[in-house]
Amino acid sequence: MRKRVKLLGCLAGTAMLGITGAALAAEPGLTDTTIKIGLFGPLSGASQAYGQDVLNAAKMYYAKINAEGGINGRKIEVVVEDDRCSPNDMVAAVKKLVEQDEVFILNGGSCSAPVVAAKDYVVRSGVPWVMLNASGDGALYPPQPNIFGALSISQRAVGGSTVEFAAKFLHAKKIGYINHDDAYGAWNLEAAGPQAREDGASLIVESVDPKITDVTAPVLKMRAANVDVLVLTTYAGPAQLILKKAQELHFDKPIVVAVNAIANLKQMVDNVGSKDAFKNVYIEELLMAKPGSEKLGWVYDLYKKSYPDLSSQPGHPQVYMPYGIPPAEVVVKALQAAGRDVTRAKFIDAVEHLDFNSVMAGPIVFTHTDHAAQKASIYFKYDGENLTEVPGVFASRWTYKGN
Amino acid sequence: MDLEIVWLFVQQGVASGLVSGAVYALLALAIVIVYRTTDVANFAQGEIYMAASYLAFFLIVVFAVPVWLAIPLTVLIVCCGAALFQRVVLTRVSSGRGVSVNLVIATLGLSFLLKGMVRFSGFGDAPRSFPSLVPDGAVMIGDASLTYLDLVILATSLLVMALFFWMFTYTKAGRAMRAVGMNRRAAALVGISLSRVQMQVWAFSGGISAVAALLIAPKLLLTVEMGHVATLAFAAAIVGGFTSLPGAVIGGFIIGVAENLVGLFISSRAIVVTPFVVIMLVLILKPQGLLGGAVRVRKV
Repeated sequence: MRKRVKLLGCLAGTAMLGITGAALAAEPGLTDTTIKIGLFGPLSGASQAYGQDVLNAAKMYYAKINAEGGINGRKIEVVVEDDRCSPNDMVAAVKKLVEQDEVFILNGGSCSAPVVAAKDYVVRSGVPWVMLNASGDGALYPPQPNIFGALSISQRAVGGSTVEFAAKFLHAKKIGYINHDDAYGAWNLEAAGPQAREDGASLIVESVDPKITDVTAPVLKMRAANVDVLVLTTYAGPAQLILKKAQELHFDKPIVVAVNAIANLKQMVDNVGSKDAFKNVYIEELLMAKPGSEKLGWVYDLYKKSYPDLSSQPGHPQVYMPYGIPPAEVVVKALQAAGRDVTRAKFIDAVEHLDFNSVMAGPIVFTHTDHAAQKASIYFKYDGENLTEVPGVFASRWTYKGN
Repeated sequence: MDLEIVWLFVQQGVASGLVSGAVYALLALAIVIVYRTTDVANFAQGEIYMAASYLAFFLIVVFAVPVWLAIPLTVLIVCCGAALFQRVVLTRVSSGRGVSVNLVIATLGLSFLLKGMVRFSGFGDAPRSFPSLVPDGAVMIGDASLTYLDLVILATSLLVMALFFWMFTYTKAGRAMRAVGMNRRAAALVGISLSRVQMQVWAFSGGISAVAALLIAPKLLLTVEMGHVATLAFAAAIVGGFTSLPGAVIGGFIIGVAENLVGLFISSRAIVVTPFVVIMLVLILKPQGLLGGAVRVRKV
């Protein structure tokens, strides 16, 4: 009798193991001891400055979590791919990570255009994707069930936040707004308009080609329109030409430069050529405090400890390095919340309930209907040499209303 | 829009347009002389100009070469580089059997090579600039504001064009270039060395591109893609008549001014399409270009 009970017990146990094994097998990238994450960003090419150290920051955070014991008994295993910020390369990287490496989740993307290119494939695959620091509006609106992003900021939020700052802090009633005539510009303008209306201000818009070389027309029109503040949401090159031209044409109103144009402040001053052009300039910052400041000290310390050779090289850590922390935190917190029996569906559900403070200006908040996390910025007055923090946090209020 | 603003827009638009138009005119001149004497549409023109800008940047900013030395050195190196390309690559391509489109493809190859070299240097990742060779400051002409640099760009461009026209008209080398442009076989029969003249033309073209780069680079920014300005130079050349040197100059100024006036009176979005609208209008109204001569009809 006891033998029969033992046999039945063994059979039941074997069946249970079979079921559990089947469940685990159904979730690629997951074993009893590891969770495989596909991490990708621009590790080479012209856009390397936007993401190489962002990816390094995410990687060092995962290493830190592993050193602290992992997540629910599992260690994080990272598979890294270079997407070069190129649509073709990113699609290839994502396909390799999903089909060949069979990762549990994707974590990557520092540039908007390639992120949009990879969107359809990732949606079809059903693999959860947490972006790095790409704005990624084209993949986040309308919200996709398994894509999460804007951990640094979306372009909509850039438009909303810069206008909020111009209206609330600089008390502008007539805001000049120069953006690009591409999708990027259209996204940030989409939120800037309603935010200005809510703040009781009017928006005078000039949209320019990203390759523009002569910015006389948009700057002179802004001067002639007598705007109270000029907001620039262009890329670095056009923004620098506009700052230079504004000085030449004696435009003396405050100029707010959005984060899109600020990859390297020193280079910006060198390119504009004169510190006089920065007499009345404000710049947008997405972190909670000045980069390199005490509040963010642990991030920079961890970077130095994790990458002693790289951190001793000139240009490192790159400006956007801390932006890699929030995406990694999202992944870790969601995995923790999903528990030991994590599945992709449970992971997605956990992400949709996250609400926490990270190193960014505003909180990281996801909901079932909003997969873009961070919407706020802080601002600094910049005289070409020193940054003076402006009090307050300025957030975009734009929300997706559907088509 | 009140009249005061209209007048301001006209003055500033024309003044700034003449400055940028002067650079388009220089580059258009470089395109036209090469086309007239070698029948090659140089699609590497923009990248030669880009490479010259980066060369000046390396000399002045990276290697701290004094400006008085860096300027002639840049012009000289670009002249030699362009001449060498003609001698080593184009001569060989044209000596092989095939269609003349191979020559154009060779210039496209050069453009990719130059872009690749700048990217490989590690300085092509972000917009860069080198210090202006002219002190800061501006003058008012009516209501229009022009910087000292703008005035130097305009004056130097006009001077280079005048020197070039003088050389082309009154010197032996210039007459040889014109002869090759008119009838290559006849020029060879009277003892003109085609290979030498074509090499000289490429060298001149490179030199003009280098001057344009030295003038405009402190005003604009250095990027790997800055060579797209050559599109405007091609537009200027087409407007002027493509084989006409004065036409190229006039076309450059027309494009520069038109861009600004359209941006000011119509829309900033329309600035980039302006050159192509001007081309279409010219091709519809005067298909041979403004100074392209009479239309020739060949009877077969």
